[in-house]
Amino acid sequence: MQIWRVNTREQTLTREPVPESWKQLGGRGLLARIMVDELPPACDPLGPNNKLIFAPGLLTGHRLSSCDRLSVGGKSPLTGGVKESNAGGRTGLHMATLGMKALILEERPSQPGWWVLHLNKEGARFDPADDLAGLGVYAAAPKLLARYGDKCAISLIGPGGEMKLTGAGIQNVDKDKTPSRINARGGLGAVLGSKGIKAIVFDMSGCDKPAIADPPAWQAAQKAYNKALMGHPQTQSYADYGTAAMTRMTNAFGAIPTRSFSDGQFEGADKISGEAMRELLLQRGGASETTHACMAGCTIRCSNVFGGADGEEIVSPVEYETIGLMGSNLGIDSLDTIARLNWEVNDLGLDSIEIGAALGVAAQAGLLAFGDGEGALELVREIRSGSALGRALGNGAAMMGKLYGVERVPVVKGQALSAYDPRAIKGTGVTYATTPQGADHTCGLTIRAKVDHLDPQGQVEISRNAQMSMAGYDTLGACVFAGFGFAAAPETIRDLLNAKYGWNVSGNILQELGRETIMLEREFNRRAGFTAVDDRLPEWMTREPLPPHNAVFDVPEAELDGIWE
Amino acid sequence: MKVTVHLHTILQRQTPEGPQRRMDVALLSGSTLADLIEDLGIEMPLEGMLLVVNGRTAPSNHILNEGDQVHLMPAISGG
Repeated sequence: MQIWRVNTREQTLTREPVPESWKQLGGRGLLARIMVDELPPACDPLGPNNKLIFAPGLLTGHRLSSCDRLSVGGKSPLTGGVKESNAGGRTGLHMATLGMKALILEERPSQPGWWVLHLNKEGARFDPADDLAGLGVYAAAPKLLARYGDKCAISLIGPGGEMKLTGAGIQNVDKDKTPSRINARGGLGAVLGSKGIKAIVFDMSGCDKPAIADPPAWQAAQKAYNKALMGHPQTQSYADYGTAAMTRMTNAFGAIPTRSFSDGQFEGADKISGEAMRELLLQRGGASETTHACMAGCTIRCSNVFGGADGEEIVSPVEYETIGLMGSNLGIDSLDTIARLNWEVNDLGLDSIEIGAALGVAAQAGLLAFGDGEGALELVREIRSGSALGRALGNGAAMMGKLYGVERVPVVKGQALSAYDPRAIKGTGVTYATTPQGADHTCGLTIRAKVDHLDPQGQVEISRNAQMSMAGYDTLGACVFAGFGFAAAPETIRDLLNAKYGWNVSGNILQELGRETIMLEREFNRRAGFTAVDDRLPEWMTREPLPPHNAVFDVPEAELDGIWE
Repeated sequence: MKVTVHLHTILQRQTPEGPQRRMDVALLSGSTLADLIEDLGIEMPLEGMLLVVNGRTAPSNHILNEGDQVHLMPAISGG
């Protein structure tokens, strides 16, 4: 494998050997290593010295179930710190097959204008893309697929990334050619936009499959892993209900964000639950699918296609975080409205968590009534118009809080909380506070832990273990749900890595990778000026009780500061 | 005594009465969560479930009280 380094000003590509210290990393861990090694920590995230890095995970490239994921990262224009954002789709598979250990985009063009970066085994080419400027991803992706072939992988931005909004992500085309697998968090779409790139096309045609050092050992490990995954009782739950199953769970714990994090239970939760969604989609038929894979080879298939009453697709997929932030958080109890909001933010190439949280702040500021779905849609369309208010919304919850003088803003390190109120799930609150990424559900949820989530005792340890596992999975390229299989057969991680690379790693490799990743991320943040006071939830969450348990976040600060000691 | 049981996702299909999302269940005084799960005929192993009483995680030997809101959930996580 090689490092593909693209200079976006000179429009050149160099392919370099992988430095020794990068070889045993992939995905999130490799991003952190590259950032520490190469990024000036004080760089302007949208300036020429920031780099946007794409890296498939260590196990990506073999259609191993739920393990073909992609990490994208750089210095975040939203948090000002380290950023990794993870997505499914087919980009990871194409990158690994092209032999890319990482793709590093450097510099920025000296002239305005938009480009498609085309990458195949011959190298790189920049094609003019001004005709795609301003298009949403649902309009741009079919044109790109028609131009470059519909088997390509494509990463692209929408108008949000073009406007360099800090709520902008990078969308990836999935196996069904739908451009909605998003590296959502932290404003990475704005970084791609700052480099004048509307889309990157990855074309693996003509390439051999990625090498495996010991094929029989790989096959044996793959078989053991698949057996553990398919035998796990939760796999069926994910297949039938997807992540939307979380809605009733968080509501039962009093932890579902409701009316801008002012309540932990939503009276309309049943209506927007995974159970209600499944019933609705089965009844509607047509384009609707309750069980759907986002990556080739996935056996869990937790995704869905949400169709309307007319049988036509509204959006794919509808996930729990969007239900939480754009549903209960806005007092909206209609799945159809949530799906339409989801389509709008997807098309703009924006993070539905960040925009949902920003809309919640807008509602606190009186710009929107809670429960007003049409009003929420109008505000999202304001983003598309490029108005000052629209741009403020597209820059996220923290920006809206500043603009309108709202105190109750749900962010850590400037990034919006996902759909678990940390006052009622305190271990997740520890994760939000201490992860180098800013508040993020992919950095270590703790809701599965069989503990009293309202008790501050012991939450730091639970969060630490979850954070290390998640950073490990993100380095492997494994979906969090692959973790059920790996947890049931942990030796398969070691066996797969050793079979693929001819290594001799130990059975503790997941935690080792996770810890190394987080230490590198913390080091980047330290150099970028972060201190212990950045590892805190918003102060109002330590003061303002959350119904129905009237809980505040009360894990002691000294414990937060000692999490990695 | 009576408790209200909320069944999550695939557990809804595992009751003797057919798919049920929410049901009132009569129990003998002093019954535990484990007794309730056995009465309902839920087949998922206990280690795969989260047991929640009135919004708080509870062990399977937790003794139930009149009017408790009980949630039985496959132990999933994610978003």
